[in-house]
Amino acid sequence: MNDLKYYEVLEKCLLDLEQGADIDTVLFRYPDLAEELRPILEASVKAKRMIVPAPSSDVVRRNRARLLQRAAEMREGKVKPVSRGVWLTSLRRVAVTLIILVLVFLSGTGLVRAASTTLPGDNLYPVKRTWEGVLVLFTFDPQAREVLEVEHENERLEELRELLAEGRSAEVDFAGYVTSQTGTEWQISGFPVVISDQTRMPDQPVGIGAAVRVRGQTQGDGIVIAERIELLPAGAILPEVEEDESGFEEENHEGQNPQIDDNSNTGSGNDTPRVEDTKTPESESEPESSGSGSSESESNEDVFNGTVDSIDEQTNIWTINGLAADVSNAEINGEPVVGSTVKMEGYYGADGKFIVKKVEFVAGGSGNENDSDSNNNNSNDDNSNDDHGDSGGGSDD
Amino acid sequence: MSNFDERRALEGLRKLDSQTIGSIYDQYFSEVHRYVRYRVNDDATAEDIASDVFMRLLEAVQKNQGPQTNLKGWLIATASNTVNDHLRRQYRRPIEMLSESMSDDSPSVHAEVDSREQNRTVQLAYAKLTPEQQEVLALRFGQGYSLEETAVYMKKNVNAVKALQFRALAALQRELGEVSHE
Repeated sequence: MNDLKYYEVLEKCLLDLEQGADIDTVLFRYPDLAEELRPILEASVKAKRMIVPAPSSDVVRRNRARLLQRAAEMREGKVKPVSRGVWLTSLRRVAVTLIILVLVFLSGTGLVRAASTTLPGDNLYPVKRTWEGVLVLFTFDPQAREVLEVEHENERLEELRELLAEGRSAEVDFAGYVTSQTGTEWQISGFPVVISDQTRMPDQPVGIGAAVRVRGQTQGDGIVIAERIELLPAGAILPEVEEDESGFEEENHEGQNPQIDDNSNTGSGNDTPRVEDTKTPESESEPESSGSGSSESESNEDVFNGTVDSIDEQTNIWTINGLAADVSNAEINGEPVVGSTVKMEGYYGADGKFIVKKVEFVAGGSGNENDSDSNNNNSNDDNSNDDHGDSGGGSDD
Repeated sequence: MSNFDERRALEGLRKLDSQTIGSIYDQYFSEVHRYVRYRVNDDATAEDIASDVFMRLLEAVQKNQGPQTNLKGWLIATASNTVNDHLRRQYRRPIEMLSESMSDDSPSVHAEVDSREQNRTVQLAYAKLTPEQQEVLALRFGQGYSLEETAVYMKKNVNAVKALQFRALAALQRELGEVSHE
């Protein structure tokens, strides 16, 4: 017999008992189930006979009076429609919320800590980047924020270094200066970047010394295939590049100062403006010559040659090889002409602008790149000798 | 009693009309109390809970959350929830002594002692059932509700109540055997 039919029989038996029949009489109709049903029916009789004392008349009267009094208070608006458990419920809600917040905080910090060592392509890497964004967002001091952003850019390079060392392929993006261009093989922040036909390039030509952001894919053979190159504006946050890893020849790099390097333009043969970075070693610093009165560090003075792209006489801002240079306080030797090659001495301000202390026209204002190259040879910077070893040959074409 | 009109009672209740509230109380307090007392086996607790059910009725009406059609169903359901809350709290505490306050209208002292002992055994066994099993027995055998009524109050279908009732009775019988051997 299936359960449902069994339950039906039980229900019929219970109804018979309800009508006043005794158990034996009821079970007589179901002899095959009598043995099973008897204890169940006995239990039902006991359940029905369980004595439940009725409330005393005093209890009934007392509670009635309380109920009517309560109703009267409600009618008169003395009692707000708030259940007695509301305070308890509210406290419980607050406690639960606090517990959840603590758990979220603890798990959140644990997550961030776990994500801090991840690399692009790891599951927790987005957590790391998001957390960096949050930190920047909630850093209101501009200087502290700048420091933080530089740290993050440095972290990108560190990640890239680890990826290449491990031979892993992953999507990366990092910023840096173009330090060499040999055909499609560039060096950016000291890392080999390959430009392919699929690489999306900016409208403006990208030359050595240009600050760029690279988005691409690391390859197992230690290179980055660029998917996109973006030119960064002056003053953009860039990572600090260590000398031995950057491929730069200059010394004394500092902070966000663009490291502009002439890597001889070997084989480039294009019209890329070449900038000679004669980053002055400490011996070349001229702290006494500063006329700017700026509090910015002048111990990291730079000397470089470049072509004057534009001159704004009103603001005293010149554009040299795409870089903004402030000549307000500069000692200018010669006639400023667009296209001429100049040797500039100065330092980089916090806004990325080059503060010029001294301008010297090293050649006539031909505006010719070749002139620029030839002028590079005139550089009196010993450090640039290696850099320019073949520049003369390449520029006479 | 037969004059009680539930629809009119609901209308008067919404206005917090004293006369209507009094008549609702008179109509249902005993029934609610019996249900609660069957389940909690303690007079004072049963009184508190039964009284609380009616207070909740007023508060619910004031917040427009009261019964819309079935007043008795609302009261029994609220009583059931309140008892379940009470039992949950009670389970966390040491088991209390069962009430000794039995009906005192037994014909003789011996009969009364015997009746109390039997009742105590059933109450002990009943207290060991699950809340759902207790509820179905309280509604069916404590209140004498039909299967259909019980199904409505328990928000289950009739077949589910039949099955639950069978399991509850079987469990009660089992517990009775264990209690009597203790």
